[in-house]
Amino acid sequence: MSTLRLLSSAARRAPSALAQQRRGYAEVADKISLSLVLPHQAIFTSTDVVQVNLAAATGDMGILANHVPSIEALRPGLIEVVESGNASKKWFASGGFATVHPGNKLTINVVEAAPLESFSSEAIRANLQEALKVAAGNGSEEDKMEARIEADVYEALQHALGSK
Amino acid sequence: MSSATWRNFFTYNKYAQITARAVRQSLKESERVVAEKRGTTALKYQQWENGVGGPQVLLNSEEGKK
Repeated sequence: MSTLRLLSSAARRAPSALAQQRRGYAEVADKISLSLVLPHQAIFTSTDVVQVNLAAATGDMGILANHVPSIEALRPGLIEVVESGNASKKWFASGGFATVHPGNKLTINVVEAAPLESFSSEAIRANLQEALKVAAGNGSEEDKMEARIEADVYEALQHALGSK
Repeated sequence: MSSATWRNFFTYNKYAQITARAVRQSLKESERVVAEKRGTTALKYQQWENGVGGPQVLLNSEEGKK
C-alpha cells in the first residue's frame, strides 16, 4: 500500500525518470516519525526513522512509513529502530503499547527499556533459575504466576542477547 | 507464552510492574542501582479526625510483597 503511494507521490514530485526507480531501503524517502518514551526518559522524540521492528503480543511486526493506524500491545521483547541505511539500534523493552497515529506518527510507550549492552547474561541466567524454581515450587498460585511471568521475560532476554 | 493466563490473577498494571522489575533485575550492576530506585514505591498515610491529624504511618507495600 505504501509503495503505491510512494510511486505516485514521486511521480508527482519529479520527472518521469524517477517513477521507474526501484525502491530500495537505502534510498527510502518516506520516514515515519517515532517517539519512543519511558516514564523516566525519552529515547526518541518525533525523530524520523525508516523502520521500527516490534515484538507485539499478537506477533512480531515491522512498521514502515504510512502504516495504517493501529494500537498494539507489546510483549517483553526487542524494539529495533532503523534510522537510516542499514544501521539499526536495539532495545529490550519490558512491555507497553505501540500506537500508529494517522499522519505517519508512531508512539511507543514502554515501562522499562535498555539497550542490549546494558544487560548482564549472568544476572539473567541466575534470575531465570530462581524464577523457574519458584514457578515449580509450592507457593501460592499468584506467586507461581508471578514467577512464570518473570521467567518468560528472562527467556526473551536470553533470546534477544543470544541473537545479537 | 506459558504465562498467558496471568489475567486470572493480575491487572495489566500489576503485570507491567512485574515485567519491568524483571528487566531491571537483569541489568548490569552499574545501571541496576539507578534502575532499582525507579521501582520502589512508598506510601505514607495520616488519619485526620476533628481537624487533628493522627500519626503519619509509612506503609511500604512493595517491600512487603518482595
